[in-house]
Formats: sequence, C-alpha cells, structure tokens
Amino acid sequence: MDRKVYFDNVATTRTDSDVLKTYKDLLDKHYCNSDALYDDAVTISNMMERSRENIAKLLNVEKEEVIFTSGASEANSLAIKGLCLRNKDKKHIISTIYEHSSAYNALRQLEDDFGYDVTYLMPGKDGKIDPEEVRKNLRPDTILVSIMLVNNEIGAVNDIDEIKKIVKKHSGTYFHSDITQGLGKIDIDLKDVDMASFSAHKIHGLKGSGVLIRKKHVELLPLINGGQQEYGIRGGTANALVDIVLAKTLRMALERQKESYRHIEELNAYFREQIKEVKGVSINLDNGIANLINISTPIESEVLLNALNAKGIMVSSKSTCGSKKNEPNRALKALGIDDDHAIRVSFDYENTKEEIDHFISCLKEDIDKYARV
Amino acid sequence: MPEFKYDHIVVRYGELSTKGKNRKDFTKALTHNIKVRLKEYPALEYRTLHDGLFIRLNGEDYEAIREDLRQVFGYSYFSGAIIVDKDLEEIKKTALALANKRDYKTFKINTRRSDKSYPLRSDDINRQVAGHILRNSDLKVDVHEPDLMIYIVIERDDAIIMDEKVKGIGGYPTGVNGKALLMMSGGIDSPVAGYMTMKRGLRIECLHFASQPYTSKQALDKVLTLAKMLSVYQGDILVHVIPFTDLQLAIYKHCDESYAITIMRRMMYRIADRIAKGRKIGLITNGESVGQVASQTPESIAVIAKVCDTLIMRPLCMMDKIESIDMAKKIGTYETSILPYEDCCTIFEPRNPVTKPKEKECLYYESLFDYESLIDECIRGDEMIKLSYTDKENEDLY
Repeated sequence: MDRKVYFDNVATTRTDSDVLKTYKDLLDKHYCNSDALYDDAVTISNMMERSRENIAKLLNVEKEEVIFTSGASEANSLAIKGLCLRNKDKKHIISTIYEHSSAYNALRQLEDDFGYDVTYLMPGKDGKIDPEEVRKNLRPDTILVSIMLVNNEIGAVNDIDEIKKIVKKHSGTYFHSDITQGLGKIDIDLKDVDMASFSAHKIHGLKGSGVLIRKKHVELLPLINGGQQEYGIRGGTANALVDIVLAKTLRMALERQKESYRHIEELNAYFREQIKEVKGVSINLDNGIANLINISTPIESEVLLNALNAKGIMVSSKSTCGSKKNEPNRALKALGIDDDHAIRVSFDYENTKEEIDHFISCLKEDIDKYARV
Repeated sequence: MPEFKYDHIVVRYGELSTKGKNRKDFTKALTHNIKVRLKEYPALEYRTLHDGLFIRLNGEDYEAIREDLRQVFGYSYFSGAIIVDKDLEEIKKTALALANKRDYKTFKINTRRSDKSYPLRSDDINRQVAGHILRNSDLKVDVHEPDLMIYIVIERDDAIIMDEKVKGIGGYPTGVNGKALLMMSGGIDSPVAGYMTMKRGLRIECLHFASQPYTSKQALDKVLTLAKMLSVYQGDILVHVIPFTDLQLAIYKHCDESYAITIMRRMMYRIADRIAKGRKIGLITNGESVGQVASQTPESIAVIAKVCDTLIMRPLCMMDKIESIDMAKKIGTYETSILPYEDCCTIFEPRNPVTKPKEKECLYYESLFDYESLIDECIRGDEMIKLSYTDKENEDLY
C-alpha cells in the first residue's frame, strides 16, 4: 500500500512548491529582526510591508488594515475578544452555533468569564444562517456579529453580503467573518466587513501564518502585548519571512481560483454521481461549497476512518481541531445529523476523478466488510 | 571542599533464596542483566565478587545509574562507594568527605573486616574514624538514628567506604525461570501482570490482538509503548501483533451475542497456545482478575482456559482493581494505559454477556464455522516487532 489519496483539504493543504521555494530562499539569506534599524533588517521590513501592501490590494482593503497573525485561530480570537474587551459598554454578541472552535471558544470565554451575552443562531435545513435571524436578534447593546463565510464541517455558504448590509444599518455594531474556508474558492467582497480572518495553510501556504483584516475604524485590545509590531495590536517579533510569502500564496490562490474551482465543481458532481452506487451512504448537504462533501455511512466514523487510513486514504470524521476530544460536532448536530456516522471529504484542485474512483471502491469494500455485523 | 563523587558501585546479591548450582546460574544471570541494563554507560568496568558486583564508574554519572539499577530484579541492595588503600589516614579522609557531602547533623560508623589480618579491629577503626570526623566537622555521633551511616569494609586489597544502602526491587533475575507469553491488551492490568511475571525471573514476549479498523493505529502504538516500558527490565522485548478482525467478525456472525466474548477469549487462548508452543514458551500470563468482567468469572475462566494446554498463570487473579492501578502507577505504565484508545472495540461489546458459560454451548457455536483456518490466518499474520527502551528514532530531528 503505497498509494495515498488526500481528501482532507479543509484541514490543510499541501504547501505549494513555489511558495516553499521562495520561503527556503528567504530563510537561507535572512535572519534579522524586521524592527531593527540596520540595512539588513530594513530590507526584511521593506519586503514585509510590500507583502502587506499586496495582500491589501488583492483583498481591496488598505495596507494598514492587514494584521499578520499566526493563523485564523489567532485572528478569530483577536477579532472577537479584542473588539469586545475594548468596547465593554455593550455586551451582546450574535454568532452561530457552528463557528470554528477558535471563534466559538472565544465567545464562550466572553460569556463565562466576562459576562457577555451571546446569541448562537442555528442554521436552517439548507445549512445556512438566515440573515433575517440576524436582523431579528440585533439589540441596542449588540457590539458584534460574527458569522463565518463557509462552514468547515458541512460546507454551507452563508450570505455574508446580505448579513453585512443588515449589520451596517445598525449603528454601533461591528461585523466579523471567518473567511478561511471560502478564500481562494469563491469571490469575497470585504466592503462593509469590519473584520475578516483567514490562514495561509488552507490555500497552499505555510502553517503558522494568517491575517486579520481589521478596518481602520475598529479598535482592538491587543491579546499579545509587545512593541510597535502590527500597529501595536499584535506584539512579538514578526515572523517576517512567513509573512512575506503570504502575499505570493494569496496571489497564486486568487489567480487560479476560477480555474481550480471549476475543476473542483466537476469533482464534486462526479463524486455525487458515483456515491449513489454505494449502498447506505447519503450526502448531508446539497448546494454547499464544492470542495467539501459531508456524507453519512453505515459504519461508525472512527472505524471507517481507520479502515480508509489503512488503504492510504485521508479523510476526517470531524473538524480536525476537535478530532482528539470527544466533543459533539456542532454543525452536524444543528442539522440533526448523527455525527457518529459522518465523514468529511474535501477536495482540492490537485485531486482527480481517478482518486474519487479509488475512494469509492475502497468505501464499497469497507462497507461490505464492516457495516454492522 | 571538593565536590564529593563516588567512584564505584557495590551491588550485593544477598541470599537469592537459593543454593548450589542454581545460585551460580542466578548470579550469572543477574550480572548479565545488570550489564544489559547499564549498557548505555560504556565506561563502566565490572568485577564479580563472591556475593555481588563491583562496578567502577570511570566518571559515569552515579545518580543516573542509581535510577536505572533500581529497575533490575534479583539483588538485595547496592551502594555508591569509594575505594581507597587500606591506609587508615586515607580511610579517615574519605569518611570525612562523605560526612560533609550534605547537611548531615549526626552520623555513625559501621566497620566490617573481611581481611582479618588487618592490624586494627573493627571497633578501633570505628573510633578512630569517628574521632576524626568529630574533630573536623560539626557532626555529632548518634548510634541509634543517625542521619548518615558510613560503612567501611576492609577487603583483602583495599577498603570500601559507602553510605546509603539502596534496596533492590526484589524478585529473581529475569530469565532464570524461562520465558512467558504475556497477553497484552493495552489496558491497566496486562503491563502489571508482565512486570510481576518478569519479577519472578521470567523473560516475556507479548501477544497483542489487533482489530483494525475497529481499533486505531494509535491503539497499537500505545501497546507498543507499553511493551517498550516493560523492556527496561529485560533489555528488549518481542511483541506479536495478531490481525484478529476477520476471526472476530466471524464470531459475531455465527455466535449468539451473549457468547461472543467467551468464544472470542477461547480463540485468543487457542492462538496464544499455538504461539507459545511455536516459540518454546512454557507459560502464558495475562492481567485477568477473578470477577472483574463477565469473561473473568471463575466459570468463564474455566470454560475459556479449556482450549489451552500450556500452563496459564494470572498474577493479578486475586488482586483488586485499585491494587493493580497502584502498581501500574508505581511502574509508570498507568498514564499510558488510560489513554483513550479502544482495545477490544466497544462496538463488539455484547449487552448481556454470559457470566456462567457452558462448554457445550461454546462447542456448538464453534462448530458453526471454520475457525481453525481463521486461526491459521491469524498465526500467519503474526507481525513480530522487536522493541527496546533504548531505541532511538529521528535523533537528528530533535
């Protein structure tokens, strides 16, 4: 068994070879602290600012609105806790039951330790948050609405354009969106989005790299204290070389977005067609993002995961960030789906139909053998 | 005051509860085991004594060796020692250095002469050395409960000066009583059973039944980690990993659910029996304890063990769970054992397992399918993995 099929691209993606090469070249040459004042440091600082500028252009925001972080989890924590703890006069937040654990647990912390009141919206049958629900739940003391663009478990795509319009009309409330799973797949318009988080490694970049887009009018309480770095919002010596290659990572992801998403849509359609032939399997959501399909099978997820793993196929049974805890899958539960039998298959532009064929035949074999006895 | 350092370790074998030729075999095995356990200290030099072992440290770290030596079965005690000429002035000087090693308040000297031709009697040496320490330090003599006991042994060629006596962990030298096959699930009990078996002088091999995909790769890794932990008592360890899933599925297809565990255990013992015979192992051991689960009632144990004619011993059979937990904590396997990976998958756990199974029923169910060839498959699939606690992986990476 040498063959490997990687269908867990929502957990992370392979690092792009171009990005990796650029990063290695930088690592070989540079080591100075980007905040130092001698030439070698200034060179790095300049490259980092160039990267910031390019990222800003690619996302249609201002340079000063790009805050480098260690990833989307930090960006989510900073956005949610940083905003709320800086503006303590209002203590109501609207979010969803199926946010990524970094956002969800930040909200829980605000509730449990700081006396905030959080409304967790439930998705409809289509997996989406109804913008009307946002409107209904807005209160005079609502400081933040935080709703993810694409859910990482079931792939539901939320209409953040509609949601941001509603929030915009409600003065004094900020809108944050975790755009991690949508970036590089679908078009995103950050106009009137006060804050947005994403990480590099979901778009073939490096782990330990991410961004919080924070519009200029938004004030945040720093979570990591330090010096002047990142406009005083995020302290610590910059991970400069990693931040530098993020611009390239993002540019390449956006350049290939159209073409690769078309390919992913083909894979999605092909998968849906082929899976029909496997008895006892159902697809848990239609009309979600094309690169993610959540299915239910007659085998316990953990057993199926092990069986597929033995055949070199990598998929997930729940969000990887919760995979080692026995916590229920909030997204599936909200949709009334038994999370003990669900697995998540996620594609990338590098995957092929032939890999899907292999997956389907392995899945059939495993169901024949292990589906309950 | 220069830093005090031992230059030797003296291991005393004690009585070993045995005499004659056996004793010779035992001391030989014990010496071998000590050398194996301390193989990571290449500078050590060994000299056998009639009742023990002299280890010259040659600069190796006594404190580290002290911990490792405490994982060898079969000796009575050991001491860190300094060896000097039999010259009384040398002895005095060394004893004083030892007394100043830590912040002791009281001491006592205990001298023994192996060399009866030595001009001073033991008592005279005690007085002279004690006098020297009293004159040159703030320590006082306390003959009843001294903080520090200094032992001086006058041997034929030199004098040995020691303080603490570190008690061994007892048992017999591993290997002197042959080999045992340990059925190892990955739970709390089996590593304890393995420890106790090795302590009685048996070298063990482990037998693990893997039910992939019902159990994960991590569950197997956990078993291998536990086996590695046990290998410190015997140098290395062989683990037989048996692919058990197909046989298990057949059992659940053909047998009534209430009998599934009983039949499964009978199959495991059949396989253990065959592995033991093939490896010339005379004893099977495991972590079973009477009454702990349905398959461990006296009736169950009796019906299950009937399929196996290799001798079976269950070191924990009359121990409480809490006692094995304490022991697992003591030998350091507990934290690994409780990692939450399933061993014999819970989806196979019947709701109402039989507690008083009948052999007739077992035979009936077993007649419904060709388990012999499935067992053959298991034996053929035996993946033998040799491990040692000294194995190092990816050293360069870290």
